[in-house]
Amino acid sequence: MLVASRIHEQASRTPSAPAIRWQDRSVTYAELRELAAKAAAHLTGLQTGGAPVALRASKSPESAAAVLACLSVEQPVLLLSTDLGPQVFDALVSQAGCAAVISVDGADLRVQPVPVPPQAPVLPPDTCLLLTTSGSTGLPKIVPLPAAGVGRFVDWAAAQFGLTEGTRVLNYAPLNFDLCLLDIWATLCHGGEVVLVDPARAVQPRYLLRLFAEARPEVVQAVPMLFRLLTEAGDGHKFPEVRHVLLTGDHTPHRVRAGLPSLFPGASLHNVYGCTETNDSFLHTFGPQQAVEDDVLPLGRPLPAVEAALFHQGEVVTGPGTGELVVATPFQADGYLGDVAPGGRFFRRITDSGERTWYRTGDLVRRAPDGRLTLIGRNDLQVKVRGVRVNVEEIERVIQAHEGVVEAVVVPLPDPGAGTRLHAVVRTVDSGPSSLALRTHCAARLTRVAIPDAFRLVNEPLPVGPTDKVDRHRVRDHLMRELL
Amino acid sequence: MSLADEITRYVVSEYLPGTSPEELDPSYDLIDTGVVDSLRLLQLIAWLGERYRIPIDDMDISPENFQSVAAMTAFVTTAQDHAALS
Repeated sequence: MLVASRIHEQASRTPSAPAIRWQDRSVTYAELRELAAKAAAHLTGLQTGGAPVALRASKSPESAAAVLACLSVEQPVLLLSTDLGPQVFDALVSQAGCAAVISVDGADLRVQPVPVPPQAPVLPPDTCLLLTTSGSTGLPKIVPLPAAGVGRFVDWAAAQFGLTEGTRVLNYAPLNFDLCLLDIWATLCHGGEVVLVDPARAVQPRYLLRLFAEARPEVVQAVPMLFRLLTEAGDGHKFPEVRHVLLTGDHTPHRVRAGLPSLFPGASLHNVYGCTETNDSFLHTFGPQQAVEDDVLPLGRPLPAVEAALFHQGEVVTGPGTGELVVATPFQADGYLGDVAPGGRFFRRITDSGERTWYRTGDLVRRAPDGRLTLIGRNDLQVKVRGVRVNVEEIERVIQAHEGVVEAVVVPLPDPGAGTRLHAVVRTVDSGPSSLALRTHCAARLTRVAIPDAFRLVNEPLPVGPTDKVDRHRVRDHLMRELL
Repeated sequence: MSLADEITRYVVSEYLPGTSPEELDPSYDLIDTGVVDSLRLLQLIAWLGERYRIPIDDMDISPENFQSVAAMTAFVTTAQDHAALS
């Protein structure tokens, strides 16, 4: 059954139960249904003709209710980050062929119709939500998620993590992240209470500790940042009511992981692997000893009905070895919106269990002789910065689009605090832009984590390799020697 | 050296290697341009608290207080005025 009808049924069953906790408010299921009905009233006059609407996804019960309203009237909705620059936002709205933009400000909801471009892509028939990849440039890819897949996902998540009436689940991720399919939507489908973390205070340890003490979440899913803040500020705090801790998005630093068992003495610890295109595909559950002792956590086991394989140069790696992880999940999209070019990340494949669409993750994975899978890193030029995948070539293209820039290279460098930081080396023309001007240029076109951390301006040509392309490795080695 | 100059120098020396303090306009948005991310925000808060003896733990702070050198200068001035009164 679909997400919206379940939440409405839940609202009939337990109208006065808390659905969303936000700041000092508690919104009950009846109130959530009311908010969604109000939002839906704004949508009724709209003739979208099957085109999606876009929502700038700020976090609040009203925003969540706006999404629920769209789901209820089967209006596909594109969730966009509040961090996107205005140019990127408009480009995505147009690329998705949106018929209107919804903005939620406090209790105010506005629907602004926009002209649908003539060459707008056709949505796959079952699309309910459209998310974007954490692409770094101007144009992240749009991922249309099928309602049936989302329904299967919320069922899996509820069964796996025991989400039921009254279960309190923390939501740390922004509303447009795929993680919300679990934190918010699976929770609401099963009668739980979503504890929304205020994004304005999401890095204040004191606020987080207080929220944990007061809202007493039982299931916590987040990027390593949250756990780092909590373990560092912990001072012996314990949250024994937390039953499940889900680490996502990145390698959780060993030091942070080692602090989890004492912070959450009653919790099962899980490493969850997934991406926006396929949702979760692997789960590894580990105990306190492994949290402290293991250098790198394995990917774990594929979820039920998930198929996975390693590809190396077009061949399937059957035994021990290394290859790109390819997966097919019951939750996934069938392709990017409007992307019909062959040779993309999605492809058809036949196995013993039949033919289905598979997805190349771009992640290199090693299979040990005992079958254990571990993640090595991106197999192309995508890197993860603070849990967000960015592509250095795309960032370079943005910098090079500045008229005062001759050439640019962006390299990821390890950083003890942030994990990875991006450094740009930019050759400018005489009296070209300052590094601050380049930042401003990037900020208008890139998502925030993709803005390089440091810009070094040079006058001489960048070093090139045998094919006359900039030699990234030499630039990187040079910077490493200088910085370390 | 004025309060604004001192904060500018700190921001430039910590986060903007290769930029001279004169280049950084007090209203330059440090958060939207990725100069100050959430990790650095914590570091900045700690530095301001220690350097200017602001009881950070007792104050309501938001990222907007650190959006630019001008915003931080205003924040420190207000906090010091507060401390002087109480």
